[in-house]
Amino acid sequence: MSDIILGFCCNYTSSVDEDTLKKAGLVPDGLRIKRLPCTGKLEINTLLDAFEQGAEAVFVAGCQVDKCHNLSGSQRAAKRVGYAKKILEELGIDPARLEMFFVSRGETEPIVEAARHMSGVLSDAESIHR
Amino acid sequence: MIVAERKPMNEILDMISGVNRLLVLGCRGCVAVCSAGGDKEVDVIASALRLGRKKAGQQIEIDTDTLVRQCDPEYLEPLKERGKQFDAVLSTACGVGVNFIADRCPGVRVLPALNTTFYGANMSSGEWIELCAGCGSCVLHLTGGLCPVARCAKRLSNGPCGGSVGGRCEIDPNVPCVWQRIHDKLVEQKQDKLLKDITPIRDWTTAGHGGPRRRIREDLLP
Ligand code: SF4
Ligand code: SF4
Repeated sequence: MSDIILGFCCNYTSSVDEDTLKKAGLVPDGLRIKRLPCTGKLEINTLLDAFEQGAEAVFVAGCQVDKCHNLSGSQRAAKRVGYAKKILEELGIDPARLEMFFVSRGETEPIVEAARHMSGVLSDAESIHR
Repeated sequence: MIVAERKPMNEILDMISGVNRLLVLGCRGCVAVCSAGGDKEVDVIASALRLGRKKAGQQIEIDTDTLVRQCDPEYLEPLKERGKQFDAVLSTACGVGVNFIADRCPGVRVLPALNTTFYGANMSSGEWIELCAGCGSCVLHLTGGLCPVARCAKRLSNGPCGGSVGGRCEIDPNVPCVWQRIHDKLVEQKQDKLLKDITPIRDWTTAGHGGPRRRIREDLLP
């Protein structure tokens, strides 16, 4: 089974079904998408827990900065991603395993690109799960 | 409030090496207000430590809780027994809370998750600055309410060192020279005659140089 890549998307950034994308061979098999009402609700510990519970890489896809459905939700998410990256570094985990993407609403392509980017980060990385 | 900040996770992981059951114990006092050790930070620290341990291939059982305050005996009472169920209690209170647990909960091993830094105020979301050093002999009535102990890099008592440039401290240009500000404030308040008075050499025993300090209010004693 390929590495688990967990993507947190808001209702507005992703309406695509991950299985459809996988069947089309567009994204890695290990991709899991968790949809949230708003990425601004994501807590730092939720991001860390995702790794602890098995993800090798995590990304957050929020609305573009000036087009967030909830005004500043995606900016808030980006700041929390930044802090969680700092913690990963302190734990000796490559912070590139966690990334924030600002994506256009309702488009599939940016989510596919985000998943592929994260898959690339993992290409020659060791597992964090022993 | 007392301002503190989290120690780096790798330091905390070293500190808890060999610990299999850990209680991460928050405080809803100052450290919650300065976003270092309240409920939210307890959750983040617990999650990070679980992840750090997992990465090292080691198990750990982590419980979390947050007390109203860790610097009052009544709130610590239940910890006297509960704390013994853990190999260690990682306190996210300031140093006062950690010391108080060490003093009052025999048989409980307490560890600090934070570095306690200063008495300060919240400038804006995410920024705190030092404003008082707890010197025990306040002179703010002579200095326009601006503290020369905490806010002057040299802790000068009788005016500026002469090194400030453009109203900025010579130690760090990002910091205003507090003596320049004291001068300006006293002029503005028509109190600048105070600047002519020589402040005698300070007795630092009130600042802790005479050993740990203690305050007694007879009428409140049991
Ligand atoms: S003079 Fe002493 S007590 Fe007063 S604000 Fe400064 S450090 Fe605090
Ligand atoms: S420049 Fe001002 S604040 Fe800085 S050390 Fe000198 S007197 Fe103190």
